[in-house]
Amino acid sequence: MNIWATYQRKLEDEQISPPLAAILSLVDLCATSTAGTMFELVKALNEGSDSLKQHSPNPISINAGCELFIAFVTLFPHDSASFSDLKMELVKQGETYVRQALTYRRKIGELAVDFIKDDSVILTHSYSRVVMETLLLAHRSKRISVFVTEARPRGLGVKTAQALTAAGIPCTVILDSAVAYAMDKVDLVLVGSEAVVESGGLINAVGSLNIAIIAKSSHKPFYALAESYKFHRLFPLSQYDLPSHNPRILSFPPPIEQDNILGHPSSAVGSEVPSSRITQEEIAKNNPDVDYTRPDLISLVFSDIGSLTPGGVSAYLVGMFAG
Amino acid sequence: MASEVSNTPTQRAVENLAWKLRRRQIVGSRATALETLLVLRHVISKSRFSNMEQLVTIIRGVGRRLVEAQPKEHSVGNTVRKVLHHIREEYHTATRGSAAASYSGFSISKFVLLGQPRKNTPLPKAESKGTLKENDPDDPDSFARSLKPVLMEAIQDVLDELETVYDNVSKNAQNHIHSDEIILTLGMSKTVEAFLISAAHHRNYTVMVLETAPSYGGRDMAQALSAAGISTFLVPDSSLYGLMSRVNKVILGAHAILANGGMFAITGSLLAATAAHAHSTPVVVCAGQFKLTPLWNLYHEYGALDFGDPSQVLGFEEGSLVDKVDVVNPFYDYVQPNLIDAFITNDGDHPPSSIYRLIKETYDDEDNEL
Repeated sequence: MNIWATYQRKLEDEQISPPLAAILSLVDLCATSTAGTMFELVKALNEGSDSLKQHSPNPISINAGCELFIAFVTLFPHDSASFSDLKMELVKQGETYVRQALTYRRKIGELAVDFIKDDSVILTHSYSRVVMETLLLAHRSKRISVFVTEARPRGLGVKTAQALTAAGIPCTVILDSAVAYAMDKVDLVLVGSEAVVESGGLINAVGSLNIAIIAKSSHKPFYALAESYKFHRLFPLSQYDLPSHNPRILSFPPPIEQDNILGHPSSAVGSEVPSSRITQEEIAKNNPDVDYTRPDLISLVFSDIGSLTPGGVSAYLVGMFAG
Repeated sequence: MASEVSNTPTQRAVENLAWKLRRRQIVGSRATALETLLVLRHVISKSRFSNMEQLVTIIRGVGRRLVEAQPKEHSVGNTVRKVLHHIREEYHTATRGSAAASYSGFSISKFVLLGQPRKNTPLPKAESKGTLKENDPDDPDSFARSLKPVLMEAIQDVLDELETVYDNVSKNAQNHIHSDEIILTLGMSKTVEAFLISAAHHRNYTVMVLETAPSYGGRDMAQALSAAGISTFLVPDSSLYGLMSRVNKVILGAHAILANGGMFAITGSLLAATAAHAHSTPVVVCAGQFKLTPLWNLYHEYGALDFGDPSQVLGFEEGSLVDKVDVVNPFYDYVQPNLIDAFITNDGDHPPSSIYRLIKETYDDEDNEL
């Protein structure tokens, strides 16, 4: 079967996020697999997850889901009579989990709403389903207003603003470069996440790090919202340790022929214009999609298993993957 | 028939304590915790229940009544939560025999929550405790009768913990205070007093005690310490910052420790902690674990603090002024977690960042709101 196509199909559902889609794809793989032993099954699952990762431009969140499911499969205590029974059981477990996981955003929202006081001004970044859920929930009981960053290069902040305005929440889109200007008016920062890593740090749409640094310097709380399937066993020490980093990001263009400019200054001006035109697409190509926010910049991580300090995340990851 | 705390002596005990709390006849976290525990013991021993839910409802009802009587004494609620946690634990061990289904109930969400399954899961014991029967129609009291002895034991454990709290906090005092150090403290905290006196058995050191206006608890503290033979200086609050450069360690007491690692403590603590922070002097807090409170005070809400008697600040002898000014006398400060280096508790030393974990272990999440 084509696992990438399955993944794409699962992702069409608005509620399904990449890690869950990855889990569902692996569940399908499990159901159709002809593996007769545990070893074969795990091998097939690993190959499936590798193929998913290769197809995706940003493998981080896929990876989190795949690792969770594969670790679960290898550790699942079973007393099934036959291997096909076990596979059926695993499929059932995976589907049950995804069904449960869809309620997590609600749970996180309920946790986070207690931390939003009446009349708050909230800054959020880009578009995140769990942040939307939280803001809409908070809107029912509290007066809130929201600044949302435009979040270039994808510009998803506009989507957030449209949805919030439609729900009757006062909302303004601000430039990514205006975050520092706006921060004094902000009471708290709320961001979603692509993954939460073992250090307790956060991987999220690029620009989150800027916001976190500015929030820290003006003593504003910075909260991350993350469903527990986004906990990812990764320990990046810098931005360049992320799996999404590649040599193209931040690369310098090859130098323009210098002697041409020096030799004929008048003609150089004319010829330079077409070659040095910088388009938005071209900028985006050399820029990262996600960045890594250090744990010391994060006040709390809200997750379906409770509100954790960044250090608490590692305790859960160690529980799952260590030993 | 369930939630009848209406049998008069029990009801009276609860109301009695509620009024004492309301009138501030009982103050201080340990005293209120002890009283609450005694009332809970009374309630449990006298009340009738035939299943777990009824018991929990009864205790919660009492807890709510007491917490509403004095919401600023956090240890009342904490004690109720702790008792509920212990009761559930006892109940689960008593019914383990019939419900050994944890093995087959393994799922991905449990995997995330609890980590890897134990390799050597102890086999369910064959001897099932048939004595514990809920909702027995023939004998509705049988559940209570068989469970009560273990519950009493559980409460006794909590009581023992409260009674030995000073000893256990000060157990390792000599490891925290070194010879010839200068320690700064303030206010009158029994825990800190016991801690300092215990360290004085092994070390020679100097204590500076701030007077701690307007309650002047520091004066009592200085007296108690010098009576125990410690070289003690009583200093005015205003000299705090000037002295800080000579101080090796600040030791504070707490009123309540919050889930984010911050704390409520006597006024002046925030000032001392901030001054210590500026001089990079370590700030250590001595407190029993009954002060752990599942509460986050992230916005430092003004009303979260308790207010003291304004006459301590501006008495009626200043008659002409009294109606011209508003006098507030906040009794506690909220000290943020980043200003605190460690909590020394009766069960080990903990950094502020792991307090929320302790709280998760000590109480059940469902009880955070009684």
